[in-house]
Amino acid sequence: MSIMELNGGSVIAMVGKDCVAIASDLRLGNQALGLSSNFQRIFPVTDRIYVGLPGLGTDVHTLWEKFRFRVNMYTIKEEREIEPETFAHLVSSTLYEHRFGPYFIEPVIAGLAKTPSGGVKPFIAATDLIGCLNFAKDFVVAGTASSKLFGMAEGLWEPDLEPEDLFETISQALMNAVDRDAYSGWGCVVHVITKDKIVTRTLKGRMD
Amino acid sequence: MPDMNSLAHPQQHQFNPYTENGGTILAIAGEDFTVIAGDTRQSEGYSIQTRYAPKVFRLTDKAVLAVNGFAADGNMFVKKVRQRLEWYRHAHAKDMPLRAIARLIQTMLYARRFFPFYVYNILGGIEEDGSGAVYSFDPVGSYEREACRAAGAAQSLVQPFLDNQIYFKNQTPAQDTSHPVHLPLHSVLALVIDSFTGATERHIEVGDGLEMYVVLARGNPALQSLQDLPGAEEVTGTQAEERVFVIRRDLKKD
Repeated sequence: MSIMELNGGSVIAMVGKDCVAIASDLRLGNQALGLSSNFQRIFPVTDRIYVGLPGLGTDVHTLWEKFRFRVNMYTIKEEREIEPETFAHLVSSTLYEHRFGPYFIEPVIAGLAKTPSGGVKPFIAATDLIGCLNFAKDFVVAGTASSKLFGMAEGLWEPDLEPEDLFETISQALMNAVDRDAYSGWGCVVHVITKDKIVTRTLKGRMD
Repeated sequence: MPDMNSLAHPQQHQFNPYTENGGTILAIAGEDFTVIAGDTRQSEGYSIQTRYAPKVFRLTDKAVLAVNGFAADGNMFVKKVRQRLEWYRHAHAKDMPLRAIARLIQTMLYARRFFPFYVYNILGGIEEDGSGAVYSFDPVGSYEREACRAAGAAQSLVQPFLDNQIYFKNQTPAQDTSHPVHLPLHSVLALVIDSFTGATERHIEVGDGLEMYVVLARGNPALQSLQDLPGAEEVTGTQAEERVFVIRRDLKKD
């Protein structure tokens, strides 16, 4: 019995043209038994950063509260909002603190970074359960359907997708991947982050 | 010098007759053609044994078999199937029909139920009614006719992509339209190449080369375009009405 596969669940994030998207399924289970079809594992960090926490269900909540606390402390001390890359390093060091008794979570981060010229730059990252960072330029995946997500994203993703096309791409990648994974599925949620708005959609998928 | 301390304890040895040799195979059936493809890398653990070991074999002019798993078992299994097909030819003066080959493969696999050929088989070709067909098997002979199937090391990467692009899963057709039941040959070939380049990118056991066998039914209008396709080689055995081609492409070698 693998702790990483006890509760199931998968997350994917993708880069588009001046936008990013992050999406997850909504299943929480106990091995083969489904418990909830509305388990949110993606959380807003700031107006422009979202984090997805696939892995052990109990650690989803503990870790998110830990991140929330540390981001609040950062905001108060620095008197400014945290940047996505800084947040990624915060995630990494928080996980590495527990190097020899880790939280069983593989976080996925998606956000828009501010550029000196006042524009935005898409940012995505993922780490393993002890905080090894992966700054990918295209897409990152994590969770029980990760191999299926890699196959889907490798086939569907292309550079410079507009927000609506990015939404379609990430949704198709996620839905078709979780349909081949027994531990993921039971509905999906997709967030598309652009400069002036965030669009959140809940998708109806196969419920088997 | 052997460690005397360890010799004091009983030693257990076990012979494992199986190895996993990596690689991936894939087949897609069209209305009047079938594409059967496989990469050509053969590996054992992290070592590459060879960059060119075919996994896809022409059995007759209307049947192509792809084998994946334990390479030694795969090669021996193809050899035995070919021998049975030759006996059939001598007895009946014709090639065995595809659905009969599929049933033959099931009985040959199940005959080894308690010492199986460690091989996943995908059989592709043309049925007697002229339709494209794909049969997929598990190592002990459980089988099914399908429109498409991926197997092997990158099955988990490729199969959901095929669900989406061949069966149009999770896609809703526009108002008053419907999804095509069968795709044309050029779209299928493009999807096969995309599947393998994607799998090569993310899976260490997939790469080096790609072999795509195309079996055309009699009178298939795509014949001319295949004959003109650079790098497509005709491998039809006799003066049969079905035509078999093989298309080779390079995949990344890292």
